[in-house]
Amino acid sequence: MKFTRRNFLLGTASSTALIKMWAALNVAEAKIVAGSSNKERKLLDKMVRTLYPHNTFPNGPYDRTTEDVINKGNADAGKMLMMRDGLRDLEKNSFGDLSFNEATKYLKSIEGSPFFNHVRGTSVVTLYNDKEVWDVLGYEGASFDKGGYVNRGFNDLDWLPEPRIEEHPDHANFFVATQNKLAAKQTNANQ
Amino acid sequence: MNIDKNENAIVIIGSGAGGGQMAYQLTKEGIPCVCLEAGPFLKPEDYSNDEWSAFLQMAWLDARGTSGSWRVNKDFPGLPTWLVKAVGGTTTHWAGATPRFLDYEFKTRTTYGDVEGASLLDWPISLKDMEPYYDKAEKAIGSTHRHGRPALPANNNYKVFANGAERVGYKYYATGPYGTNAEPYDGRPGSIQDGFNFQGDKNSSKWSTAVSEIPKALKTGLLDLRPQSHVVQITHNKSGLVDAVIYVDANGDIQRQAAKVICVAGNSIESPRLLLNSASNMFPGGLANSSDQVGRNYMRHMTGSVYARFEKEVNFYRGETMAGFIGDEVINDPSRGFVGGYYMETLALGPAFLSSFLDPGAWGADFAKMMDGYSNIAGMWLVGEDMPQATNRVTLSDSIKDQYGMPAPNVHFDDHPNDIAMRNYAYEKAEALYNSVGAVQIFRTPPYPSTHNLGTNRMSARPEDGVVNKWGQTHDIKNLFVSDGSIMTTGAAANPTLTITALAIRQGEYLVSELKKGNL
Ligand SMILES: Cc1cc2nc3c(=O)[nH]c(=O)nc-3n(C[C@H](O)[C@H](O)[C@H](O)COP(=O)(O)OP(=O)(O)OC[C@H]3O[C@@H](n4cnc5c(N)ncnc54)[C@H](O)[C@@H]3O)c2cc1C
Repeated sequence: MKFTRRNFLLGTASSTALIKMWAALNVAEAKIVAGSSNKERKLLDKMVRTLYPHNTFPNGPYDRTTEDVINKGNADAGKMLMMRDGLRDLEKNSFGDLSFNEATKYLKSIEGSPFFNHVRGTSVVTLYNDKEVWDVLGYEGASFDKGGYVNRGFNDLDWLPEPRIEEHPDHANFFVATQNKLAAKQTNANQ
Repeated sequence: MNIDKNENAIVIIGSGAGGGQMAYQLTKEGIPCVCLEAGPFLKPEDYSNDEWSAFLQMAWLDARGTSGSWRVNKDFPGLPTWLVKAVGGTTTHWAGATPRFLDYEFKTRTTYGDVEGASLLDWPISLKDMEPYYDKAEKAIGSTHRHGRPALPANNNYKVFANGAERVGYKYYATGPYGTNAEPYDGRPGSIQDGFNFQGDKNSSKWSTAVSEIPKALKTGLLDLRPQSHVVQITHNKSGLVDAVIYVDANGDIQRQAAKVICVAGNSIESPRLLLNSASNMFPGGLANSSDQVGRNYMRHMTGSVYARFEKEVNFYRGETMAGFIGDEVINDPSRGFVGGYYMETLALGPAFLSSFLDPGAWGADFAKMMDGYSNIAGMWLVGEDMPQATNRVTLSDSIKDQYGMPAPNVHFDDHPNDIAMRNYAYEKAEALYNSVGAVQIFRTPPYPSTHNLGTNRMSARPEDGVVNKWGQTHDIKNLFVSDGSIMTTGAAANPTLTITALAIRQGEYLVSELKKGNL
């Protein structure tokens, strides 16, 4: 099996085996793309937003994540069939009309299924790796080209006092002394 | 230097903490050697300051199996460890924590007594034997707080951590000892606090064998470093001495290098796997395995993390990832409900890794709330001694093969009740620490794929108890050595790399003197 970050994050041994079996059916030529219709895309988008609900995130990251869920969910025939069936179930359960709490409850009920694992596993990686999301969360990422954070706030926290950075003067002694004390306690207890 | 493939060379397999150190220890004494490394030689300018792309760039992703009741088997099946395939091995991704073992941690069988289900064993060496080598290792790495190396400054994550420590009554906290320069040392610059350690340090302030020992060894002109050379088997002669290695080179061609001495340093998963994959008629259980201990007693440290969200900003991703230690819990006090101790160490992740590792598989409103507060999060790692168990074990998979058609390793692990008790205790203490400085939401994070991998070729006084003697020389085959973390008899609370380095320096001295005496 070729390793990608996605398949170890979402793969349970059994789902991987199933996907392999389906892939062997080799119906990839059928040119069916699960999740391609507007309606299906909306269902997936809602699923992603229910899994990882952030009011502060713009649409862009959710759109790109949904897109990735669709692309990777059609990577081979097995995945496509898994997606198709998962989407059918969402539709059958009127997932599109459910409130946030109802939608959460429904997802809880399908947690662990290959379809759920695919959507969740892809989403958690793609959504939180999105640069627009990093901006919203306040993560500045790579800094080497800017000279690091040494002059850009690595120590700017000011709501707590400045702590000691050196070791406690007793440090070297502590381990030896404590251990001797504990060993003596042990010996007394055994007597 | 080019060493002829038919020349009986000193061959080192792997160039990480153990192998890279061996290459330098030998070449600096004028002894030529071949170092075969499965991964490429990446330079600091190649490193990527992006969590996922750095991981995919050099993590060891060859096929592997997992089994056992540990949570990693459920969360990351097929990815039991986080190890690196590149020149420098896992020291390219390591953080830099360099505490020493304590005296009692070299004799845990004696100190802890008989712990049910544990295969505890005293080391054949003591802290006293190791002290001079710890000094050398700290100087080689340039550990802060040691031998005149200054402390790193407090970053934001440390400020929360150290203030919490003070409030709950801990005393033994500091920003080190840590293997990253606060000021220029050994030809490498001081830290610019760029926030990337686990991805390789582009600034080279962080020690690794890729930026220190390997370049120094190459400079002697005596090292034949062969990257992208994956060893698949060690062979032996009729008298039972090892005589060559078979490896696959960068072009996919199968090569043979004749050998006079072999040092196996592929880490605690690949080293036992290679010994097992080298079984022969003479050694049907694998090389150096007359004790049946090769692959057993696999340890990965008791680990866990705690992430806490606060009302105000922390921005914990800025600065050195793990430059913060609390040592107060590194004691053996069985009244806590477990033997052995643990460190608390600062830890920061970017949103990409935090979301995947915070609580693998988690989703929903609470999870999103935590991520929304990313700027306000502080984090720490808990790392303590775990119990060796004979059944925690690296074996050859009977179903999975790697890209060369060789049986893949299977890593089996069950937590010992002592590990679980220690983890739960440590979680409570970490939560209390963060609560004392005003945490508003806390996550208990389960273990990541193992970054510390130890014990699978353990050192023992008696040949029947382990695989190697006190020099790391296999009990069964005198010209076969193991030079990595797999030789650790027990794991202690301390992060392992300082000890791996000290052991390799010590083994290097021994090997040089044996070679000079003509004993090998
Ligand atoms: C994210 C992270 C953070 C860490 N932080 C710390 C820390 O703060 N402090 C600490 O003490 N430790 C830390 N560690 C652990 C530390 O990196 C390891 O303990 C150490 O590098 C292990 O040394 P080793 O020699 O056993 O193996 P490695 O360093 O893994 O080296 C093994 C080498 O052998 C090569 N190899 C394997 N098989 C073959 C083969 N068949 N043929 C050829 N080559 C082969 C590999 O490619 C690799 O280069 C961290 C690890 C990680 C992943």
